[in-house]
Amino acid sequence: MRVLISWLSEYVDVPISIPELSERLSMAGLAVEAVEPFGDDFVLDIELTPNRPDCMSMLGIAREVSVLLDLPLRPPKVDLREEQEEASRYISVEILDPELCPRYVARVILDVEVGPSPPWMQRRLEAAGIRAINNVVDVTNYVMLELGQPLHAFDYDRLRGGRIIVRRAMEGETLLTLDGEVRSLDPSMLVIADVERPVALAGIIGGAETEIGPSTRRVLLEAAYFHPTSIRRTSKRLGLRTEASSRFERGMDPNGPVIASARACQLLQSVARGRVLAGAVDVYPLQVSPRRIRLRPERLKRLLGVEVPGEKIEQILEKLGCAVTRGESLEVIPPTFRPDLAIEEDLIEEVARIYGYNQIPAKMPVEATTQGRRDPVLEIEDTIREILVRCGFHEVHTYTLTNPQVFQRIRVPEGDALREVVRLRNPLVEDHTILRTTLVPGLLQVLSTNAARGTKDVHIFELGKTFHPLSGEVQERRELGLAMMGELTEGNWNLRPEQVQATFYHLKGAVETLFEELGVSGYQLRRGTRPWLHPGRSAELLLDGTVIAVLGEVHPEVARHYDLPLRAYLATVDIEAILPFVSLRRAYRPIPKFPAVYRDLAVVVEEEIPSGEVEKVIAEACGSLLERIELFDLYQGPPVPEGHKSLAYTLTFRAGDRTLSSEEVEELLARARQLLTQRLNAWIRGQ
Amino acid sequence: MEREIKVLQEKATRDIDGARTLEELEEVRRRYLGRKGALAQFIKRLGTAPQEVRPLLGQQINRLREELENLYASRMRALEEEALQRRLAEETLDITLPGRRRKIGRLHILTRTVREIQEIFLRMGFEVVEGPEVEIELYNFERLNVPRDHPARDMQDTFYLEGNPDWLLRTHTTAVDVRVMEGRRPPMRVLSTGHCYRRDAPDASHSPMFHQADGFMVGEGVTFADLKGVLMTFAREFFGPQTRTRFRPSFFPFTEPSAEMEISCVFCGGKGCAVCGNGWLEILGCGMFHPRVLEMAGIDPERYTAFAFGMGVERPAMLKYGIDDIRLYFENDLRFLEQF
Repeated sequence: MRVLISWLSEYVDVPISIPELSERLSMAGLAVEAVEPFGDDFVLDIELTPNRPDCMSMLGIAREVSVLLDLPLRPPKVDLREEQEEASRYISVEILDPELCPRYVARVILDVEVGPSPPWMQRRLEAAGIRAINNVVDVTNYVMLELGQPLHAFDYDRLRGGRIIVRRAMEGETLLTLDGEVRSLDPSMLVIADVERPVALAGIIGGAETEIGPSTRRVLLEAAYFHPTSIRRTSKRLGLRTEASSRFERGMDPNGPVIASARACQLLQSVARGRVLAGAVDVYPLQVSPRRIRLRPERLKRLLGVEVPGEKIEQILEKLGCAVTRGESLEVIPPTFRPDLAIEEDLIEEVARIYGYNQIPAKMPVEATTQGRRDPVLEIEDTIREILVRCGFHEVHTYTLTNPQVFQRIRVPEGDALREVVRLRNPLVEDHTILRTTLVPGLLQVLSTNAARGTKDVHIFELGKTFHPLSGEVQERRELGLAMMGELTEGNWNLRPEQVQATFYHLKGAVETLFEELGVSGYQLRRGTRPWLHPGRSAELLLDGTVIAVLGEVHPEVARHYDLPLRAYLATVDIEAILPFVSLRRAYRPIPKFPAVYRDLAVVVEEEIPSGEVEKVIAEACGSLLERIELFDLYQGPPVPEGHKSLAYTLTFRAGDRTLSSEEVEELLARARQLLTQRLNAWIRGQ
Repeated sequence: MEREIKVLQEKATRDIDGARTLEELEEVRRRYLGRKGALAQFIKRLGTAPQEVRPLLGQQINRLREELENLYASRMRALEEEALQRRLAEETLDITLPGRRRKIGRLHILTRTVREIQEIFLRMGFEVVEGPEVEIELYNFERLNVPRDHPARDMQDTFYLEGNPDWLLRTHTTAVDVRVMEGRRPPMRVLSTGHCYRRDAPDASHSPMFHQADGFMVGEGVTFADLKGVLMTFAREFFGPQTRTRFRPSFFPFTEPSAEMEISCVFCGGKGCAVCGNGWLEILGCGMFHPRVLEMAGIDPERYTAFAFGMGVERPAMLKYGIDDIRLYFENDLRFLEQF
């Protein structure tokens, strides 16, 4: 709402500075967004909340000012000289849908001289952002700005049958509207029609055929009250929002039409020399009866936490236009121009607003206390984040909104479960048409974006939700994604890239560390088959038969799709699946009292045999005295025969109750050697 | 023999002093002090000396041994010191070469901000919870007193989903308030955080996905004064003790009265600048829960009152750290992430 200060001053004195006025209005809920100079005057640009249609007028704003500054309000004086002849002889009004149009007021003005409106009026319209058209149209707009009530002027001589019919449009009807568009109408829309056809879209825009033009001599002036929801729906449906529709859709004053049409007639007399016929044709089939609201001062105190004296409450409400009857509690009848005042709390807000929110003291709650705590799942999520940050990963947040093209980029075949997605019904951009089912494309994109900007060393994680349609529901699953690419350390001068760049085993190590810290153990490892991973360099971790994590090197083709400059590694962890196994409880285990015995063991096996198998056999042979197996060397080449590899381990032996003798350890080693030879056809180096 | 001892003394002293390295010194020691060294030879020859001079000679030899051993030891210390000094000199590094660093990870600034907000409310006895991002109209709108034809339900503002006409991406975490209230009895102090979605074209200050922190407190006698106290505390904790706050009337369908909390501008301290204009920055929306909202959640609005508030996470963080484009949060440029 644009408010010209000099215009406002017609209805209320403004004895304070513009900045002070802006401040007072803002603090009463009428946010002054800008103050613009307008000639030697100023315009306040006020952003109104949708519950205040009454303030979409100069008088409405003036009323607020008068309440805030405790000054008298001066509504415009309507001083109308009517002709003898009755308007009802020229026009009759029939409302076929009183639900959508509870009130319609028509007046007739004869002998208007259409021409430009006077400069003062044009200036005020301009300040409000409305283009001047001609004196008749300008008067309707002027009164709308002044009093809030939208009006419409028809060329009476272009209406057929001397009758206004307010009805729903019929299927197939069209209307050429004032903006030059041909609108297709349907029965959800309310129209103003004459006996033959629609002549206006009720409350939104007039029709071009009955438009006021230079030749117009007789005017039918419409002032009506339309149902807000109907106007809103139609305006939305047609994508057409006008000064009129934006007022009607918020709820106008059912008693506004009478005064506003009289005021417009008065102005038409003075600026267009019109002769106003006697009386208004006022059809008001659905009376809007005023509400009665009980306001208990103690309720006000209970809600606001401050006691406002009864007289103060009364005074504020009365100045706002309410009728107040004092009794045990106050009985309040809000003015019909305040459709937003419907319940006791609405009145309490009004009192608080005028009394001043900042007059209400601030205090800390003294009510029954509650214990602050975080949802346990959120605690676990935070722990996961902490672990990964300690492992050197940066956390990222990517959009949960994505598009189906990403599946192709990560080689997910048609028919794969990941392609079962939740789609947006009304996407805004092509990139965001579905909800993600995996974190993988988001992470790859982060690697890609950073690499394109010159950052090739990227180690990241994201903890977020993926969304899956599941038997008529949307399942939200917590997932963790890790991505590694490039150097793990900085300051790598004189070190070769392979000494410092992330590998499959770095990623595997990170996942192992995570699970260890979360107390998740006993999982199995097998080769992975996810399409975005290198088939020879990927693994799956299983716990109780469920895949809990997938990790591996990014498939070369996928790396190419994302322009990755280095080998990259990706892991995804199904957080929902591990949650039941997470154990963050810690218990002290005594530090071993007896020394360990260390032995190295180098085993040569065929190269297909995984190290894990060798370790398993050693562990089986050595039993519980074996504390730890650690691979320290993997070697292929002479003197190890072709097709074989040498694996060297450090074995740590320890007993909890004694110092182990070397004989005991040698015996265990001999058993290990024997079992390795038996099971894996291995031979022991250095023998 | 006495003369020989004298000669030996001079020679040995010269040799010890003349040893340039530890190896040379060892050689000298062996020559004079070793088991087959010159002094040992004298001892052997002592038997051939006349009986009466033997004790005297013996004394002389012992004195000489002592003297040479001392000489040897001090020469040894000197040479060791020299060797050490030489090694230290040789091992001098170019201390200006770059350090080798382990890369450290960081939490995303939005996570840190969410956590900071959570911590502040945890200290005030709030429970932190989470709810679904895919919501239904019932919780996102209806139970919050947003009627079917309210402008906030426009398709323009809300992402709806295929598969069910009721499905949508929640537009505020206030939906979680309703879910929590429905299942419990007062008193409650609850904060929920998470993703929200609005159908806004992305630009420097709009993102289709963003984070919110949303809280409420229900009890017998919870007032607007409590709302002010709690939120002013939040503002001071989050933005610093110098922060001033003010409350402006506003409108939300689910609160009555409704307010907007503003803080004194973090850039100019409230004097007015290009960012704030009038010295104040809008931070959050709040109010007393509308009685209909409580009623629909099964809470008697005559007995209980409640305040509620909701704020974005991106914007306060932008203000706190001077970030000028909301899209930076979701681009994940490491040069951005590494700054926090």
